[in-house]
Amino acid sequence: MKFNLTSNHLRVLLYTVFLTAAGASALAANYIILNFGNISTTQAFKAFPFLVSPKWEAYANDFIPFVHAIPGMVWPILVFIPLIFLIHFFAIGPKNFSEDGERILFYGAFTRFFHWINAILFSLIVITGLMIVFSKALGGGGLIQNARLIHLSCAYAFIVTVIPLFLVWLKDMIPMPHDVKWFLILGGYLSKKATTVPAGKFNAGQKIWFWLATVGGAVMFYTGFYLSDITSRPQSELFSLLKIHIILGLFILALFITHLYMSLFAVKGSLKSMISGFKGKEEVKCLHSKMKI
Amino acid sequence: MARMRFLCDIERCIDCNGCVVACKEGNGVPVGINRRRVVTINEGRPGERSLSISCMHCSNAPCIAVCPVKAIYQREDGIVLVNKDICIGCGYCFIACPFGAPQFPKGDTFGKRGVMDKCTFCAGGPAPTFSEKERRLYGQNRIAEGKVPLCAAMCSTKALLAGDGDKISQIFQERVARRGTGAKAPGWSVAY
Repeated sequence: MKFNLTSNHLRVLLYTVFLTAAGASALAANYIILNFGNISTTQAFKAFPFLVSPKWEAYANDFIPFVHAIPGMVWPILVFIPLIFLIHFFAIGPKNFSEDGERILFYGAFTRFFHWINAILFSLIVITGLMIVFSKALGGGGLIQNARLIHLSCAYAFIVTVIPLFLVWLKDMIPMPHDVKWFLILGGYLSKKATTVPAGKFNAGQKIWFWLATVGGAVMFYTGFYLSDITSRPQSELFSLLKIHIILGLFILALFITHLYMSLFAVKGSLKSMISGFKGKEEVKCLHSKMKI
Repeated sequence: MARMRFLCDIERCIDCNGCVVACKEGNGVPVGINRRRVVTINEGRPGERSLSISCMHCSNAPCIAVCPVKAIYQREDGIVLVNKDICIGCGYCFIACPFGAPQFPKGDTFGKRGVMDKCTFCAGGPAPTFSEKERRLYGQNRIAEGKVPLCAAMCSTKALLAGDGDKISQIFQERVARRGTGAKAPGWSVAY
């Protein structure tokens, strides 16, 4: 029998090819669907980054105790440093220098102007910062919200107005060898006699205060800036920033209180000199002996 | 008493973001604040999964532990709420929270944070129930009305379950048994 390839045969062949292809594709599709993301729910869930870590309960274990330790770190500074100064005031007493005789221009008008702007801003930052630290005792709420607003606004202003003061005083604030000697006698504040103290235009204590307030202030601004915009950094980094902000803040607070005591009580006429700009020659010769007049 | 819980079934979630919109719209949440959000992994690749996440109303919640003014508290039924009259907006709860639930509105002055806002499980807040103040500060109080939270109520695939923990775990276990995958709920063993 001779085999004739008719149109019928062709049709059957085409159907067969088509059905085979269709079946194969269906099987392939089925395989793909079954294997598309064929991982267990638990496994898939664990892939969600950081949202649900298996150790979520340990997540903030070091952060929580630190936050609650902050007021405990701050109040000793607020209590004990003023206490030491109180004892000093009554046991040794302030330094008195005669205001008669020749007077030396110690602070120019530009310096004084920026000093007082920074003094106001810095005081506001310190006071509102302390309010935030002791927010629980103050009841929280709107009062602390406003304190935070002032804290933030003054910080932005301070970081600008501190620059002129920084540049004016920079050359007199560079650490010198005689600063070590000043530290060894603690600036002569422990004796009642008016001894000659090794110091240039600024003594070592003033230099520490200067560097803490300017460079330290810049670090406080940097850390505070990122803490004020909390979504900008990962949470662990924010914790480190907060640590720096708080611990550096403790030092700045301590030196702030010291500066207040020295200028208001420890050296008579100190406040006047920052207002008028003049210091008595006797005082300068004694407390700033290495200064070239 | 029933322990209120959320449970997102990631095998069902289709990343429609309906829960997010329902929450924002129904509670009058300001722009920029998401009490609930949908996170997708492996987008467009095999193993794509979506998870709707908000405050998990943890037992032993880190936000409550860290709050320096004790503005955050937990109700008897497990719902964690914030008192916006006491909150100072310090942001410590955001740093402590493993889920990124606390949200802060940005102010006009130097972008100062406002008080914390987060998922209330649609249970209002410490203000008097159904008062104007409660609606303005915290949104709806659907729990007091006897309803489930907005997000779970509108979920079109019923991926997001909310309510008594025992009930929803039962529903989920039945689903898993039917699927035969033997998988466990996301974070069920660790998050609660």
